[in-house]
Amino acid sequence: MKIKDGFILRTVADSCIVVPVGERSIDFSGVITLNEVGAFLWKALEQPCDKAALLEKLTAEYDVDADTAAKDIDAFLAKLREANLLDD
Amino acid sequence: MKKLKVADINVLIKYDHPTLTKQAQAYLSDFDKENIRINIPDEELDRLQRENPHLSVDDVEYIFTGAAFYEGIINYNGFLLHSSGVCVDGWAYLFSADSGTGKSTHTALWQKYLGADRARIINDDKPAIRIADGQIYVYGTPWSGKTDQNINMRMPLGAIVFLERSTENFIRPITAQEAIPKLFQQTLRPHDSAQMNKLLDVLDRVLSETPLYRLGCDMSKEAVELSFNTIRKDK
Repeated sequence: MKIKDGFILRTVADSCIVVPVGERSIDFSGVITLNEVGAFLWKALEQPCDKAALLEKLTAEYDVDADTAAKDIDAFLAKLREANLLDD
Repeated sequence: MKKLKVADINVLIKYDHPTLTKQAQAYLSDFDKENIRINIPDEELDRLQRENPHLSVDDVEYIFTGAAFYEGIINYNGFLLHSSGVCVDGWAYLFSADSGTGKSTHTALWQKYLGADRARIINDDKPAIRIADGQIYVYGTPWSGKTDQNINMRMPLGAIVFLERSTENFIRPITAQEAIPKLFQQTLRPHDSAQMNKLLDVLDRVLSETPLYRLGCDMSKEAVELSFNTIRKDK
């Protein structure tokens, strides 16, 4: 899976935000604010990857046990799917 | 083509209709080379008018030249904030909200209670914010929405306040993270990614350095006292 094309992830005034550009800005006019972990996962998902790879990256980067990390990833992916931001 | 200096940007622009002719009067200038060129041919104005039958050609010229200017200003460290801007004691304060919420009403109340000499409306609907000479300034522009209240001057930005109607008056500081979605609702968003990155560069600095507030207010004198005493920079 992968984040759909047409989004810019940037830090603005210490906040991680995602904004649509190009074609994407026509059907998605909002702005997404992410926390640090959200931004980390978003960045990972800019390249095609699976849940196992996300889990490996997240546990390598943060001091978090695999169960908690897996739950965080599931919750994040569910939000992305709900907002139709993922290509499967 | 006429020459205007708006927000310290040289604008070469074609216009013929009364509203912009009147509003642009105070911005007429002279220069050798333009930064922004705005040339909407008559056929295009007519086409836009037919697409927007509730508007006159005069309205169309005013609205679409404004849109072109605010697209262009992105290339000069600037952006539009849909807001009513009031200047007091050397600082500009911007009250931003959807149309019809009461931002102009609130700044008009500042004028009523602080005096129209002390509280001046720099632009009642679409002031420009721009980083120039290393500082963040609010600029008046000829494009000020339905009112003709704009002044050709610049003033350092003192605060951005997101206004909502409320029966209880309240004001509280908000974080940049809270402000960003509100701000994006009240500006022109570039579709091109290079332009978007330029806007985000400017917003990074503006939102890092500017006090940001959320204000709920009615139309009372107390509402003005609360907002003015909380956000004023000279205290």
